[in-house]
Amino acid sequence: MTDPNSEPLGGPTAAAELACRDVTAGYLGSQVLREISFRITEPAVYVVLGPNGAGKTTLFRTLAGILQPQAGEVRIGGEPIDRASARDRLHYLSHVDGLPDGLRVREALEFYARVERAGPADVERVLDQLEIRSFSDQFPSQLSAGQRKRASIARLFLRERSIYLLDEPTANLDPKVAREIRTLILRLSQERIVLYSSHNLFEAREIGRYVLALKAGRIALFDRIENIRASRFVLGLRLLEPTVALPGFRREGDYYVRELSGPEEVPGLLRDAMERGAKIREAREMENPLEELFV
Amino acid sequence: MATASPSEPPVSLLPVTLRRASVSGRFFLVYGTGVATFLGLVLVVTSRTTYGTTFPLLLPIFGTVGSMGGLLVFTNDRTKGVLEYLLAYGLSPQRLFTNVLLTGLALVSIVLTVSVGASAALYTLSGGPVTAPLLVAMFGYGVPMAYACSGFAAILGMYWTALSSPRQGMSSPIGLVPLLGILPAMATLGLVGVVAARGDAGPTTLALVLVCACAAVALVDATLLALSGRLLRRERLLSPA
Repeated sequence: MTDPNSEPLGGPTAAAELACRDVTAGYLGSQVLREISFRITEPAVYVVLGPNGAGKTTLFRTLAGILQPQAGEVRIGGEPIDRASARDRLHYLSHVDGLPDGLRVREALEFYARVERAGPADVERVLDQLEIRSFSDQFPSQLSAGQRKRASIARLFLRERSIYLLDEPTANLDPKVAREIRTLILRLSQERIVLYSSHNLFEAREIGRYVLALKAGRIALFDRIENIRASRFVLGLRLLEPTVALPGFRREGDYYVRELSGPEEVPGLLRDAMERGAKIREAREMENPLEELFV
Repeated sequence: MATASPSEPPVSLLPVTLRRASVSGRFFLVYGTGVATFLGLVLVVTSRTTYGTTFPLLLPIFGTVGSMGGLLVFTNDRTKGVLEYLLAYGLSPQRLFTNVLLTGLALVSIVLTVSVGASAALYTLSGGPVTAPLLVAMFGYGVPMAYACSGFAAILGMYWTALSSPRQGMSSPIGLVPLLGILPAMATLGLVGVVAARGDAGPTTLALVLVCACAAVALVDATLLALSGRLLRRERLLSPA
């Protein structure tokens, strides 16, 4: 798959806006989301985080217009989500693959192309774009989890939309396929709004520009990822020759570890370590600040 | 990429759903068609009179069994998240139900066309008389009741699928609905038996019982379908989280 910095997939789209105002939603009268409000206009990846049961899937279903809010409203480009013109601006990928039984991969794409009013040329283009042509004549039951996910995601590229709601698109995938899918999503996000739910905090930091954290159905945090700091900053250094004594650091496995007051201390410490003869192989933040959003 | 245009008319899912239902439910379709055709041909060969009085009464049972592919697609689509996608694309639950219902009726048409066509052809070619009671039994009850029972089974199965958590085996909708779907036809058989046993009922009375039974089942179908919008909410069609 291609470089995330190459041209955006599908070309530019009209500016989009996704807005939630005081949305309360759930299932059959029970409330899962409570008074959710936000407004998104900037094309980027917005990572939706939260522990199991926090309401991530319910949020996506509500934004996609599948669940009707019990209170409040969802608007796309200023229009209520129940209008066809608003709904037509977004794509939704659920946590299950959605590949119909009894259809080969190509036929499944043709099925969705028909629903989306896309043409045969779009199906052919997507088969190549997502590199699924080689298994397009197989049934979903004959595919690996990664192939199934890729075939499922292929639907998203049949037709151009300005907002993408992706519910755990890399769950249960091997690292290689997960990386390929993240690359695709990064390309999408150059011109589009992508909401992306994940349990993988490192993945969230890798591709997300914003994080929207849910806790017990409410927004616990909505901010740029770089603004989120852990309550403590722990630096870890891995050396090529771990024989050097580094004052203030303790050893934890392969790492020399030290708690700092913040990332601004890192350059000075690295300089000091190198002056002591340390050959640094890796320097990393040992605690992911996003982890605290799960507590 | 193609660009979206919300003003375009909604697409029909019926052809592809019918194809999927024919594949997924091929066992039901082959069984319903095969047994009905075999039975019809055997009855014509052994007793043309019995064919005229019995075959139309049995048609709804095999028609219902043959149409299970539509429900099979619906239950699989719910579990696999296909219904969730279709809802996200703007299709209404009523449209999804109607699509499955029409698919079931199309499958019944296959069962009826083959079984009635083959047996009626043999009946006519072998010199069987085309009487008014035969026509009433076949086209006033057998054929329409096959559609009505199939619709009843499909709607019952959709309600069941939507109102219960996914399960496998005999306790699943696919396991039990064929048995429940033929109940109206079985009840009608019982009713005809009771009326006939009284001894004072003529052919007209029996025909009236059959036509009324058929109309009653069709009315139940229409009522359940009309209520589906209120009773089966969108969240009932979502894949398990």
